[in-house]
Amino acid sequence: MHRKIALAAVAAASAVVLAACGGSGGGSSSSSAAGGQGDCPGADAFCIGLVTDTGKVDDKSFNQSAWEGALEAASATGGYAKYVETVDPKDYENNINQFIQAQYDVIVTVGFLMGEASIAAAKANPNVQFIGVDQFQGEEIPNLTGLVFPEDKAGYAAGYLAGLMTKTGKIGAVLGTDTVPPVKLFGEGYKAGALAANPSVEVTLVYHAPDNAFNDPEWGAAEAKKQLAQGADIIFGAGGNTGNGALIEIAKAPGAGESIFCIGVDTDQFFTVPQAATCLLTSAEKKLTLGTRTLIEQAQAGTRKGGNYFGLTGLAPYHDTEAAVPDDVKAKVAEVIAGLDAGTIMTNVTL
Amino acid sequence: MRARYAYALAIIIGIAIVVCFFLDEIRTVSVLSFSLRYAVPLILAAMVGIVCERSGVINIGIEGQMLMSAFAGFFGAAVTGNLILGTLIGIGTGMIMGAFLATGAVTWKMDQIIAGTVINILAVGLTSFFYVQGQVLPGNTPIVAIPLLSDIPLAGPVLFNNGLFTYAAVAIPLILWVLLFKTRWGLRTRAVGEKPSAADTSGVGVDPMRFWNVTIAGALAGMAGAYLAIEAAGTFERGFTAGRGFTALAIMIFGAWNPIGALAAAFFFGLTQGLASQLQADEVIAIPQQFINMLPYVLTIVLLAVVSGRIKPPSAVGRPYEKD
Repeated sequence: MHRKIALAAVAAASAVVLAACGGSGGGSSSSSAAGGQGDCPGADAFCIGLVTDTGKVDDKSFNQSAWEGALEAASATGGYAKYVETVDPKDYENNINQFIQAQYDVIVTVGFLMGEASIAAAKANPNVQFIGVDQFQGEEIPNLTGLVFPEDKAGYAAGYLAGLMTKTGKIGAVLGTDTVPPVKLFGEGYKAGALAANPSVEVTLVYHAPDNAFNDPEWGAAEAKKQLAQGADIIFGAGGNTGNGALIEIAKAPGAGESIFCIGVDTDQFFTVPQAATCLLTSAEKKLTLGTRTLIEQAQAGTRKGGNYFGLTGLAPYHDTEAAVPDDVKAKVAEVIAGLDAGTIMTNVTL
Repeated sequence: MRARYAYALAIIIGIAIVVCFFLDEIRTVSVLSFSLRYAVPLILAAMVGIVCERSGVINIGIEGQMLMSAFAGFFGAAVTGNLILGTLIGIGTGMIMGAFLATGAVTWKMDQIIAGTVINILAVGLTSFFYVQGQVLPGNTPIVAIPLLSDIPLAGPVLFNNGLFTYAAVAIPLILWVLLFKTRWGLRTRAVGEKPSAADTSGVGVDPMRFWNVTIAGALAGMAGAYLAIEAAGTFERGFTAGRGFTALAIMIFGAWNPIGALAAAFFFGLTQGLASQLQADEVIAIPQQFINMLPYVLTIVLLAVVSGRIKPPSAVGRPYEKD
């Protein structure tokens, strides 16, 4: 009997080790950047290190956008850029430390989840400049800038487009949880934008319960189908995999891309969720590449400030649904985006 | 006693549904469709629990079995370019995971909770490690409307206009009920779960019976996983089973280890989810949705408290059988 328990323990232990392998693989899978940029050559050079959130640097999403920003900044400043891919969240700290030990000047950490690790590293290394992409800074740390985005503006632009495009007068949104501020900003901004475009439009916002809010594509799909059945013809999916589940479901609906549309979030989801390409009108986008590049350049010039830096937002290209959007709608939406950027149009969304 | 409460609840819900149908057809049908869809993986997973526990084996690894099957089914379909093949790979993976649990819990007589936990940990580790981004299914599973039946008001669009997995999820509990309570296999299964020594004495091989039942139940977990990835979500994400395998265990208890009871309980779970989102959509936010989502769990506890001693798990569940 004892032997059996020992066997079980061995099996359990090996499973844990196996799971952990995923993590330790991350540190070693670092690779040098494209464009002949190798390791930081020394103290004189301007070196940019980027730590991805779990996932690859070519994920066509946050990691890739931030990395492109780093590359642009490197070529503009004549510096060096290198990335480390994180496989498991428990390696955030180790991956950041690799760059600290190699004496990099700027370390970019990508994603909301790395917020705590970035703050800890910034406090421990006051001489290194940190840029936390999508990490809102509650207290100001001089050597850490959070690159954040006014999600309500992105949502507003998407809602404005949806309000102009809807034929049924009903639009919907399948969202992550309203306990996460950016998600609520997207949702409320979407509603405000739609009502600004068309005061008679009916907007349905449904948020997932807080547990597993961003990783429940089945729920997202079922909710999207329910909203379609109730007459919505444009649905905004904003909530990680949950929202992606909604997009994929809408692409399956009869009339997708002609009378039924979906709107993605964060990055251009034409690339991140190719299954949804047929219905994807646009994506409420955070301009990550531009924001990352700007902050790195500021870091090199010495003009970067601690606290939060608000990047620009907008809408991704229409791609496959280009022909379905009338020119006057495109013009009006472009005008609204410009107004949002300039601050002449207010979303009036408060949490 | 317990049945009376359950029937009363079912009748009240039934009447409420019909009333709602006459008040607002579109909302009622779409909320019920949502509920059934949400219930499908829960029904299948609860059947896994019932078959295993009726045979005397606790299966806490349903979540892991589903996750692994969803992974294999999705990537199987994406790589081979064939949805049917992917589904079969998913179901086969479920069976392998079932056999894995059976080997640990029955053949090696390991602690059953540990054996199940090993599966959960293993599934999270393996599927996260081998996950590849950017894979796409080769197509969509068909929606099959059953002629005539799908024209019935209310029941037609909800029950008879679905994907094949959904029909299977409704049919399997009925078939399983007949198998468990009306056939020799069922009697033997219940015997090895209730009183294995008696079954053994009368010539039923306890361990082989348990081994095969747990393995075959794995195929149902495989089906649940394949449904999630291939029909419901159309994608695989790390950990996207989101606790459904554990919810299924609560449903199994709520349904008193009876396949039809669990079918009803799973639909009830789905219904609470559907109502929660509909109340939000209509901005009837007097009740926070968290409370509505909590309802099935609270009801399970209340039910267990009210009828404590009346609903009993199979008496030999959790104990490996050792001959005296």
